[in-house]
Amino acid sequence: MTTLYVLDIPENTAVAKVAAEDAAVTVGQIGPYFEISAAGPIVIDRRATGCRHAVWYSCVAGVARDSRITQHDKNALRVEPG
Amino acid sequence: MSDLDHRVRGVDHVAFPTFDPAATVRFYRDVLGFPVVHSICAAGWGPADHPDFIHFFFDIGNDDRIAFFYYFGTTPEVGGGPGAKGDVYARFDAAVPDYFVGSRHLAIHVDDEDDLLEYRRRLDASNWPVEMQVKHETIESIYTHDPNGYMVELTRAMRPVTPQEDLDANLTIDALLDVVAEPDPSFGKLLARKAELIVARAAGWAPVAP
Repeated sequence: MTTLYVLDIPENTAVAKVAAEDAAVTVGQIGPYFEISAAGPIVIDRRATGCRHAVWYSCVAGVARDSRITQHDKNALRVEPG
Repeated sequence: MSDLDHRVRGVDHVAFPTFDPAATVRFYRDVLGFPVVHSICAAGWGPADHPDFIHFFFDIGNDDRIAFFYYFGTTPEVGGGPGAKGDVYARFDAAVPDYFVGSRHLAIHVDDEDDLLEYRRRLDASNWPVEMQVKHETIESIYTHDPNGYMVELTRAMRPVTPQEDLDANLTIDALLDVVAEPDPSFGKLLARKAELIVARAAGWAPVAP
């Protein structure tokens, strides 16, 4: 299982929206956070989100202990089980 | 969260030394238009080596102030030898990374984009032009260094802070304190601890009515 959390603020809504475009990904809500989860990897394309760099590199609020970030660069955010 | 009542009312003043009061007054009063609002002319007293000094203040809005000390008869060498980086208060050798040297700064708030650009115009017409204009997460800022080498930022909020950002900030700090209490703190460990706090505390959170 892969789970990450993103705070629901205007700058971050595109992150959750792009994540949800993958049918394998579920985007739920826990309080004011998006809970983005999948059985396998979650990959979010930065350009598809339209996030400027300052927003992009600070958009992750939390990553569950059974998951880890394996890529967070100008191209994509990738979180995988592990 | 603290239950202590919050009684303070912003910055009274923040103070820095200067060895170039003429340029300092040009920058803050004549370029930026910050009024001189207070000054103290003091004969050296207390410790025997204390020089005579002028302590002068500029209004930075909201009745908050930036202040300078000018000590007669001193030069920047009073603070140590020359450095490859830094300002007249703190100097560093070339090996010290720029992120560290540039970390300490004063940010002055403006109401909106018009005001930010007005200060940009004033600086760009001076000897201290804007070095950088950046949209951060939720604020937009311009930066320059004053005649003393101090980094000065002027910044505007691009939108009001939302209540959930206050929750998030508190979860971050609680997670940070947990992580730095253990060996080898890292960003990954912080995000893992914060995820636990989100699960434990975010679902039951409700914004406080204004």
